[in-house]
Amino acid sequence: MAAYEWKLPDVGEGIHEAEIMQWLVAEGDEVAPDQPILQIQTDKAVVDIPSPTAGRVAKILAQEGELVRVGTVVIVFDSASGSSAAVAPEPEPAVSPSSPALPVSAEKQVAGRRALATPAVRKLARELHVDIQQVHGSGERGRVLAEDVRAYAAGDSRPKQVPGPSAATPRPRSVQPLAEEIRVPLRGTRRAIAEHMVRSKYTAPHVTNMDEVEVEALVAMRQQMKETAGEQGIKLTYLPFIIKAVIAALKQFPYLNSSLDDDTKEIVLKPYYHIGIAVDDPDGLVVPVIRNADQKSLLELAREIQDLTDRAHAHRLTREELGGSTFTITNFGSFGGLFATPVINYPEVAIFGTGRIQKRALVVGEDDRIVARQVMSVCLTFDHRVVDGGTAGRFTNLIMRYLHQPANLFLEMS
Amino acid sequence: MVVGEFTESADLVVIGGGPGGYVAAIRAAQLGRQVTLVERESVGGVCLNVGCIPSKAVISVADEYHRLQEAGSRGIRVASASVDMSGVQQFKAQVVGKLTGGVKELLRANGVTVMEAEARFVDPHHVRVVSEYESKKIEFRHAILATGSRPRNLDSVPLDGHVVLGSTELLALDRVPRHLVVVGGGYIGLELGTAFRKLGSEVTVVEALGSLLSGTDAGLVRHVSRQLNHLGITVHLNTRVESLAIQNGEATLTVSGETGDFAVSADSVLVTVGRVPNTDGLDLAEAGIELDERGLVRVDQRLRTTNPDVAAIGDITPGPMLAHKASYQGKVAAESLAGQPSAQDALVVPAVIFTDPEIATVGMSESQAREAGYEPVTGRFSFQANGRALSLGHARGEALVVADKTTGQLLGVHVAGPEASSLIAEGGLALELGATLEDLALTIHAHPTLPETLMEAAEAALGRPIHSVVRTR
Repeated sequence: MAAYEWKLPDVGEGIHEAEIMQWLVAEGDEVAPDQPILQIQTDKAVVDIPSPTAGRVAKILAQEGELVRVGTVVIVFDSASGSSAAVAPEPEPAVSPSSPALPVSAEKQVAGRRALATPAVRKLARELHVDIQQVHGSGERGRVLAEDVRAYAAGDSRPKQVPGPSAATPRPRSVQPLAEEIRVPLRGTRRAIAEHMVRSKYTAPHVTNMDEVEVEALVAMRQQMKETAGEQGIKLTYLPFIIKAVIAALKQFPYLNSSLDDDTKEIVLKPYYHIGIAVDDPDGLVVPVIRNADQKSLLELAREIQDLTDRAHAHRLTREELGGSTFTITNFGSFGGLFATPVINYPEVAIFGTGRIQKRALVVGEDDRIVARQVMSVCLTFDHRVVDGGTAGRFTNLIMRYLHQPANLFLEMS
Repeated sequence: MVVGEFTESADLVVIGGGPGGYVAAIRAAQLGRQVTLVERESVGGVCLNVGCIPSKAVISVADEYHRLQEAGSRGIRVASASVDMSGVQQFKAQVVGKLTGGVKELLRANGVTVMEAEARFVDPHHVRVVSEYESKKIEFRHAILATGSRPRNLDSVPLDGHVVLGSTELLALDRVPRHLVVVGGGYIGLELGTAFRKLGSEVTVVEALGSLLSGTDAGLVRHVSRQLNHLGITVHLNTRVESLAIQNGEATLTVSGETGDFAVSADSVLVTVGRVPNTDGLDLAEAGIELDERGLVRVDQRLRTTNPDVAAIGDITPGPMLAHKASYQGKVAAESLAGQPSAQDALVVPAVIFTDPEIATVGMSESQAREAGYEPVTGRFSFQANGRALSLGHARGEALVVADKTTGQLLGVHVAGPEASSLIAEGGLALELGATLEDLALTIHAHPTLPETLMEAAEAALGRPIHSVVRTR
């Protein structure tokens, strides 16, 4: 048997380091080629790394939670092939963009081990028809608490997660006050978000403008289309309409669909429209991308949004689905927000935000009548290095015009 | 004489009134079911009538008598003490009578109809119930099968009820045998062999396997073997009974062991070579109830048999043949048939052996933990260093905890020592609640008490016992 030292591969463009989330094997285990051995967290996605060889795990050199640079030896195998050299050849990138690694199912990770839970909690799970093996335990050592079971039954069907430091800031739990300060390591998705936000805010001078648009026609149109979409099993939200309105405006304001290359001091104008949609997840914000959104119908957009959102919640998005957007939309209204100052999804130059739609008093007509109308608040944060206030205002106005008279969007359809 | 056959209908029929069946009947009645309990002998089953309970009465008496013999070392001068077996039998009968009377009263108070009869299946929803006086068919909606087990017979040593006895007959003796040969060194053989030795019999144990209490951790059994030796009980391992001759109330057994054949004579022979499930004579196939390859009733987690309207519990189902397992299953089965989401999901079933010292275990042994993929860490603590054990004059044995090294989660608790059977309850609770070594070590245990040994064993596993010395390597 020969020792096979395996280095952390480059899992995607521009990734220099990754966090060891969880080892799926232990020292002494026999592994088969392509058997998932490791989960790593890059800046946005959790990636399963398959075993490059058959053999026995001789030594694990990187600890869970550790940040490891690409090219570092993280595991040593006693390889089954006696002929291989003491140091293995440079491995292929383990994850190629065309073949996203298969996620390891939760059952597989916990095979043979019973969920850690008291008899009363196990009974509660049965009463609520919950398979307790599938529930993410929020207690120490992954202990499944009664409230975890209730949350799971109520629809928070997140798959069981890797143990160790939570990827996200713990959600405030019930009403129990903390007895003392708790220090939560900044890891995983939370850390990626933190670094990304700092980079954006410190690099791009942010300016946000805000406005309101009357959307009676949009509300009516969506209401009408919703049924047709529903018959096809598609939940039609406002987001596909907003995407269409934004793209129609982007086509007339190419500088809003660009990025600033700091190194060459060039503004890169993009001929394609890849729209990032900010998705709220209990474990932190993720931004899956709808590619070539300009070429997709409302229904196609709706279907894709649904799919991306579902898989974002299940942590099943691939790296390329989480990168490469040219412009991002955030719907802070879904949490009831009226106004916000979104942070640009750097290196894009602007982000469009939509607030909640609600009836408000508007002054209309020659005779200054006050009427109640459906109104949506909107905002645009832009990078003032690339875009000026006038451009941003005209861009926002155009989007608002499409939202006010959505029928005009048909004029834009290719 | 059977005159005719009537068909009655019942909501739930429980077949067997032991610690599984009667508990199932009561729980079902609590849930509003109309319950008929069919028991062919006595309510309470083997356990209450001829098993656990009467044997504990006899063992306690024997212990007490034995302690009197050794009481001089504790400053008690005993002029004379002797055993009157008829008095022991009276005491035993009182205990049994009180408990079985209590069970009958509980069944009555819960509105359970009790029939003294035998039942066998006619089809998936009918049993024929035959008693001394009548035979009738009962159509049931649901049934719970709780027929228990009986002693295994040994062809070479057939019971005769006078010289060659089963545990039931031995416990009913109104004399102390002069020489008792125990065939089978399992827990019943050792419990009763030890008790009768203490009552005055000469005792010889013949075991076919290479160890006593097969299946129990050798480290724990060591404490018992030592005491058997101290009590003067002769043990032959790897030894089989080849033949038996009885003449004038005296048995002569020809046994073959590692050293060759030899003869042992005795006035009483106890045969305890395991138990077999009572799955015969029930016509289970008529009801579509299947057995597994080991002859046990196939059940799912909710204890349903292959006939979904019939559940099975206790000794006829897979798992240890223990009364408390049967009772737990009785509740699960009754609830499950009543539509509740109950299931057999207990992590552990404790096992207790009333030898001297007692042995009690719950959860995994060190080697089982390793096989299950854990990296186990263990901690032990001797009763020799426990104040209460010493003051009881009963300081043989040790407490042992097994835990997962990485997380400290307890995986097993094992005790050989005084009151081990009671001490193990804490271990069972700790395991079901998923406690760690730290949890056990940081729980204040009253002083001076026997359970302190569990706390100390946990501290030993954590490398910081107060009352024992950590050996450095």
